Amino acid sequence: MSTVVEHDQVLAIAQEVFAAMVDGDEGLLQPWPGELPVIEDAVVAWVDLHGPWPGRAELRTSGATANDLTRALLSLPDGEVVTSLDLVDAFGEVANVVGGNVKSLLPLQGSLGLPQVAPSAPAVPGARLVQELPLSWRGRPLVVAVWAFAQPALPEGTRLS
Amino acid sequence: MRALVIDDSRTMRRIVSGALHPLGFETYEAEHGRAALDLLEDGLQVELACIDWNMPVMDGLTFVSEVRANPAWRSITLMMVTTESEQGQIVRALAAGAHEYLIKPFTPDAIRGKLDLLGLVAVEEHA
Repeated sequence: MSTVVEHDQVLAIAQEVFAAMVDGDEGLLQPWPGELPVIEDAVVAWVDLHGPWPGRAELRTSGATANDLTRALLSLPDGEVVTSLDLVDAFGEVANVVGGNVKSLLPLQGSLGLPQVAPSAPAVPGARLVQELPLSWRGRPLVVAVWAFAQPALPEGTRLS
Repeated sequence: MRALVIDDSRTMRRIVSGALHPLGFETYEAEHGRAALDLLEDGLQVELACIDWNMPVMDGLTFVSEVRANPAWRSITLMMVTTESEQGQIVRALAAGAHEYLIKPFTPDAIRGKLDLLGLVAVEEHA
């Protein structure tokens, strides 16, 4: 997958998703300047990609940032409580749209799993980190990662790059 | 006009509905294709259905095929609203009977543009 999913493509996808869905404006999701701090109280949203290029698209941030992301996505007023259902649905949908667009970069069609949200994503033996982008959303750390899982046998003659 | 918004994400249903309301649509929501078919079978009449592709229970492509198989629902305009952006998927959806295809993420302007093409914008958008 590393030959078909480039850093700049993932960055462009993430920025487009946040501009269109969350912020209504471009420029609020940027590369993190310098070393990313440890993300406390992490929440991870991910979708798995199935098919010839199995893998995962994953977003990781703090619970507080995921909470604010949900509030922005749903246009909730300040006084309204963000429920855990809101957070799982909204943060999961962001991962779903990022994952769907990452899938479109792949040369052979696969399918997309349903989005999941949890304190951590389950490890997959042999998974390889293809891209990991430390980002700043409104000045707060957020990581977008793309993983490649072990590939099934590809059709004879299929080229990987 | 009335629109049925079909998506397993409540967040996305809210976003799509929020884009349709200023265009004069009254919206109804379903969390998957089967629930949407149930609403139509119960007599809900809509001019537009906005349909996600990947959903549990019944996916969007199956829903499109089911609607197209029923002559009573021939007048419903079907628009896929999905992350499935590969050309092959778009062709499959259009071949199954979808009229338009909108790829997530989208802006309110993009959804308005598609509805303009379909002749379905009911009112001028509120300022």
